[in-house]
Amino acid sequence: MAKLYLKFDQSVLKEITLSQASTTIGRLPDNGVQIDNLAVSGHHARITWEKDHYEIEDLGSLNGTYINNERVGKAKLRHCDVVKIGKHEIEFKGDGPAPVAAIQAKTGPSIPKLENTVLLDTRQAQEMHAAKSSAPMATAMAAAATPAKERIGMLSVVEGKTDSDKYILTSKMTMIGKSAMATIRLKGWFAPTSAALISRRENRYFIAPEHKVRVKINGEQVQGQRELAAGDLIEVGKMKAAFSFQD
Amino acid sequence: MTLAIEVAGKTDVGCVRANNEDNFGYDARYGIFVVCDGMGGQAAGEVASKIAVDVLLRYFREKAISSASDPKQAAEPATAASLAVALQEANRAIFEAAKDQMGRMGMGSTVVAALVRGHSLTIGHVGDSRIYLVRQEQIQQLTQDHSLVMEQVRLGYITREQAEHSELQNVILRALGTEAEVEPEVEDLVAMPGDTLLMTSDGLTRHVHDDEILATVTTADSLQQACSALVDTAKLRGGDDNITCLLLRIVEQPWYKNFLSKLFPGGGEWQNSI
Repeated sequence: MAKLYLKFDQSVLKEITLSQASTTIGRLPDNGVQIDNLAVSGHHARITWEKDHYEIEDLGSLNGTYINNERVGKAKLRHCDVVKIGKHEIEFKGDGPAPVAAIQAKTGPSIPKLENTVLLDTRQAQEMHAAKSSAPMATAMAAAATPAKERIGMLSVVEGKTDSDKYILTSKMTMIGKSAMATIRLKGWFAPTSAALISRRENRYFIAPEHKVRVKINGEQVQGQRELAAGDLIEVGKMKAAFSFQD
Repeated sequence: MTLAIEVAGKTDVGCVRANNEDNFGYDARYGIFVVCDGMGGQAAGEVASKIAVDVLLRYFREKAISSASDPKQAAEPATAASLAVALQEANRAIFEAAKDQMGRMGMGSTVVAALVRGHSLTIGHVGDSRIYLVRQEQIQQLTQDHSLVMEQVRLGYITREQAEHSELQNVILRALGTEAEVEPEVEDLVAMPGDTLLMTSDGLTRHVHDDEILATVTTADSLQQACSALVDTAKLRGGDDNITCLLLRIVEQPWYKNFLSKLFPGGGEWQNSI
């Protein structure tokens, strides 16, 4: 830990160990380092721990703070620096490890968190939820118990050859095409292998046509991904299907 | 036309941490892509994330080889079930390794994995790493974090906004390797040409929003450039954790190119864990 040696006229008056994040120097008794001399201001200077080093800052003193005979406002302290305040000298010895208290004081909420990832098991998680959902949360919790109603979309085939005439769109992604992977299976020689994809996100449905495949909605050609609304008529090649939500 | 995959990956220690506990790896020949974010003191996090990447890559390489020699298996498609088995294997490997050595107690890793074969896309994850899909200028988060704050959002206790500022963001509810069994979340989806997938650790998503990811991915000249831009943005904003981005794009490829690549294999098709 870093130490200060308060000296007057070459003799050491006091040895101070820096254990706090911040230590003030001044004439008044509330300072961490008190120098009872009229040349010293009430609160003269402050030494603080900054991430990985100590700094000294003059607190607007009358006679100034000097490091190695140079007047400073704020300066980094190096091992063996001599701080001059009035006629007193403070030698700084700071080659040891950082003070624990100083680090803890400085890694408060303002500093970005460095904590490592923590794993909770299911029981612990439930306890956390319980704590979180105390008194004012009770109503919110009751509301959460009945999750938002799921809306499931469906396609009813109006025209064209497909393997079924009605499709319930429960999966996150549904392919329309001739491919074996397609849920909505197009038939016929010239049907594209993959024509379009319908994706479902939080109760909403979007259709994305494949490159160079013409997909029309209500007679209008789709450019890029587009959201589906109930009642939309989708045309892919010779297939026509109506989109709606299940009751 | 057949579908091929372009890929670019980058991992960075960030600005604050001393070591990089993230890892990633892929083998485009077998369509397997993995990003892991390890945890556990004294370098154990790095060990755990590396084991997870290695086991997953090995699983699908060996599976491909054994099915090549046994035509009956060859027809079997890549499904969520096989990815779940592979993730269980990775879990067991880390768990066993942790038991063997002192100082590795409690080591674990998050994982996001994607299996891409033609139009078939299978994803799996454990923990708070994420997969995003950018499709036709829209972005969609495909995974739901196994984290305390996201669980609270799902239950309606807090809003998404509150979650982003919560002090409990670092608390996850599932990880690979911390228990003998794990329940991975796997899903079969469909890919289409032009799709871009981003697989990433929370070091990126804590600092970079969905819409910013979308803008970066759609405007960058190349996948590699997009990776670098995303990592740089996270670092500019503090970079208080390791940052990993793996980007893959499904592209249409004329049949002769596919033929040529079979005749002359090689190039940047795979990368093992680091």
